[in-house]
Amino acid sequence: MSGTTVRERDAVERIVRGAFGALTGRRGDGLRYAMMDDTPVGILGLAGGPRGLRHLSFVRGEDDFLEHLLAEHGDVPVLKSAELDDVRRALNRYFAGKALDFDLAVDLGDLAPFHRRVLGETAKIPAGRVATYTQVAVRAGSPRASRAAGNALHNNPVAIVVPCHRVLRTDGSLGGYGGGLPIKEWLLRHEGALL
Amino acid sequence: MNTDEPTIPAAAARRIALLLAKHGEELARHIRRIVRDDDTAQDLLQDTMLRAWKAVGRLAAGSNERAWLYRIATNASLNHQRSRARERAALGRHAAELEATRETGEGAPDAADRAGLWAEVARLPERQRLALSLRVADELDYEEIAARIGGTAAAARANVYQATRRLKLKVRDA
Repeated sequence: MSGTTVRERDAVERIVRGAFGALTGRRGDGLRYAMMDDTPVGILGLAGGPRGLRHLSFVRGEDDFLEHLLAEHGDVPVLKSAELDDVRRALNRYFAGKALDFDLAVDLGDLAPFHRRVLGETAKIPAGRVATYTQVAVRAGSPRASRAAGNALHNNPVAIVVPCHRVLRTDGSLGGYGGGLPIKEWLLRHEGALL
Repeated sequence: MNTDEPTIPAAAARRIALLLAKHGEELARHIRRIVRDDDTAQDLLQDTMLRAWKAVGRLAAGSNERAWLYRIATNASLNHQRSRARERAALGRHAAELEATRETGEGAPDAADRAGLWAEVARLPERQRLALSLRVADELDYEEIAARIGGTAAAARANVYQATRRLKLKVRDA
């Protein structure tokens, strides 16, 4: 093809080969993603792999979410897929108020062990209940690390499904939230934890 | 970093990665339907993305990126098919797929019928064969078929009509 240099061709080939490997199952590390454009808490981006859900993010749109995934995962192929339909169904049931707790595989393998423990403990807080940053730090085995626990929660890659919105300050104030405090408040009211 | 390593501007690489992420799975499926071979499909998907990248600057804002990619992929694949000697083997596999659909329809044809039918399928013009496959195996509507193979919905309908007409004639004759 005129105007295409060998260098360009090689680079495109590398990108396509990675994506194609993931498509045909020759490459197992590919990320699949899906969008939910119309939820009560705005646009959500979902992404996961064979071991479970790895991202549930509040995003401005599909390109915004993809830029984030590509920046975070480098050369790992990322592909839109219907494979996340079970997650979408679970979230729709959640938003409809039919099932407020999740039974989904979540893959937190990228995170540091302490962050993983904090999020693991957070996942045990049932809908309608809340805990404090300090309580979560204690349950994760580091009573003095409530600040670090707050940090882990703030960087929770799987919002809503790992319910970091159920963790509040000891004085009862909401604390922070990656998706913005109005969303944290909406989620807690939806679950009946706030009146 | 090795300066000899093949490289393209980061923005262009990101653009390709975004297009691939959004449309790669369905484009690969579409191409594989035409060429029936994973390695060839990978080459053609690569070709498609390369052409897309070269032309992406001319894609008007707000135009249908997905339909545009489908057209590039279809043209690349059909061009490839026309120049392939493997056509025959590929059609055999394609025929098996159509066969399954057909047997649930107006009764299972006997082996002689089938052999005649698949020989006829093999002789269909490429666009008719593809339109028929998308209609029968994928149950797409004509708008969607047109978006994938190019042309209008009416033309897609005409392609499917012509294909089924030829095949039915063949079966009745047998």
